[in-house]
Amino acid sequence: MSLKRKYDFTSPHGILSNFAGRPVKVALIVLSMTVVLFPLYWLVTNALKLERDYLAYPPVLIPKEITFESFVELFEKNAFASSLATTLIITAVTTLLCVAIGSTAAYTLARGPIGRKAKNIFGVWFLVQKMYPAIVTAIPVFIVMRALRLIDTRFSLIIMNTSFNLPMIIWLMMGFFEQLPISLEESGMLDGAGFYKRFFYLILPITKPGLISAAILTFVATWNEFLFSVILSIKRTKTLPVIIAGFITDRGLDWGPMAAASVLMLVPVVLLTFFLQKDFVQGLAMGAVKG
Amino acid sequence: MEHRLDGKTNRLSLSKRKDTWAAWSFLVPASLFLFVTSFLPLLYSAYLSFFRFKMNLPKAVPLFIGLENYARVFTDSQLATSALNTLVFALASVSVEMALGLMVALAISGDGKINRVALAIFIVPMIMAPVAAGTLWRMMLDSATGVVNYLLSLLGISGVSWLANTTTAMVSVIFVNIWQLTPWVTVVVAAGLKALPQDCIQAALVDGATPFQVFRRIVLPLIMPLLTVILMIRFIDAFKVFDTVYVMTGGGPGLATEMLPNFIYKQGLKYFDAGYAGAMAVLFVLAMTLVVLLFVKWRSWEEAKL
Repeated sequence: MSLKRKYDFTSPHGILSNFAGRPVKVALIVLSMTVVLFPLYWLVTNALKLERDYLAYPPVLIPKEITFESFVELFEKNAFASSLATTLIITAVTTLLCVAIGSTAAYTLARGPIGRKAKNIFGVWFLVQKMYPAIVTAIPVFIVMRALRLIDTRFSLIIMNTSFNLPMIIWLMMGFFEQLPISLEESGMLDGAGFYKRFFYLILPITKPGLISAAILTFVATWNEFLFSVILSIKRTKTLPVIIAGFITDRGLDWGPMAAASVLMLVPVVLLTFFLQKDFVQGLAMGAVKG
Repeated sequence: MEHRLDGKTNRLSLSKRKDTWAAWSFLVPASLFLFVTSFLPLLYSAYLSFFRFKMNLPKAVPLFIGLENYARVFTDSQLATSALNTLVFALASVSVEMALGLMVALAISGDGKINRVALAIFIVPMIMAPVAAGTLWRMMLDSATGVVNYLLSLLGISGVSWLANTTTAMVSVIFVNIWQLTPWVTVVVAAGLKALPQDCIQAALVDGATPFQVFRRIVLPLIMPLLTVILMIRFIDAFKVFDTVYVMTGGGPGLATEMLPNFIYKQGLKYFDAGYAGAMAVLFVLAMTLVVLLFVKWRSWEEAKL
């Protein structure tokens, strides 16, 4: 019993402190938290500093006075509000589209009555799609979108974001569906429920956590997407990451508004992952298991 | 044939066939979508790789030049430099992320309140837009007014031009990736540690194994398949790095932090050389596929060991 207490691997002490000692563990946690938190602290304070403070050297570590001037400037000058709306619309539609057609495809691959061979072919294809870098399709997509006059439209960005996230969603949801006991569907089948009925009434209600995980991961990825936003937008559909990158000039002194924009961009995803942390972490973990 | 079956079988096989149709109707939308938006562009890339095509000229017609673009790939010293940079970037950032991520995950693997708070905080860097993380660090690393140099000056180290010097620029870009994605490794490994069979570990302890032995002989082998997958995902993702480099250094100074995605981007959308960009894209995909296959082999070998 005493042994168990001394080396309890489920205890708050963590596994590391069991063999490296408590000081090592505490030092590691304190150090890693400092390195993670200080830049975030710096971002938030710079967003709230007076102009003379964020330009000052030596830097003002703890501002004596705070202001929302940078936020006001942001909304006044840079067409920021319309960019915020654009990013939100693109992200919301992409998320819905991905979850809808991704989870259904995943269900067929996990449990659908189609041949084993077909399942393997589609599964491997989606896996390969998941792996390859977006940049390899960037130039042809640009050429085609230009020919179709779809540059600078929300539509083109929704299409491309859905395209990147679909393979990830399919693999993730396959993992969630495969965990369900097969007896569930067998009982549904005995009751005479067809494929659609089984999916919508039996399976979907109990895979809600999986769907939420998939939705959060898509939301975050689309919200932050930069490469295609910068390629496919000229003026009207600049998303927030493009706006933030636009703050970088040779002068590079607009730190206040830049920080304010980053803070505003960070708030929604922080809230989302904070309130749905369990589903978010489970999604990450499942993604790694399904590789 | 149908009329020879009795009514019941007929109905059953009919509903089975209906199910098969329904299953395909679930698979087709996503497949068609990916085929059109992802597979066809890649094929188009491959097609263009055999042509000279200056896509900025309005009436430009692709001119067939055979394998010339591919020959150029193997003689372009700038491309060789970016490929080498990408490899250095991937190896350095991923190895640090794995080691550090595993250690921090072990440190916060308990159930206490501090561990939960730590986990919540670690999530923030990984959900931050890479563009935002890059600009934030660019501000902090500014050689004249940045807070990093100020803090270093308190320690007596002065005036490092982080992003203007070839070596430190690479170190900075690698560091920002480590800052963003070590927490990802930590969170995923921590979730894996939680799922370990506790009774097995307890039994070993009761049998007199030291904690380090337990880690070395039980915990590590059990999470090895997970670590392999994490390594694979991180390694492949490192080759896709674009956003942070774009905002921090733009590939500079010179070619010091030029990576493959940025290089392809420039060839295609700055110099408008769609053919050459296409050839690089094709080879890039082939190389990544090879890496994935090696990892898949390695993982099945790891799993067979268990």
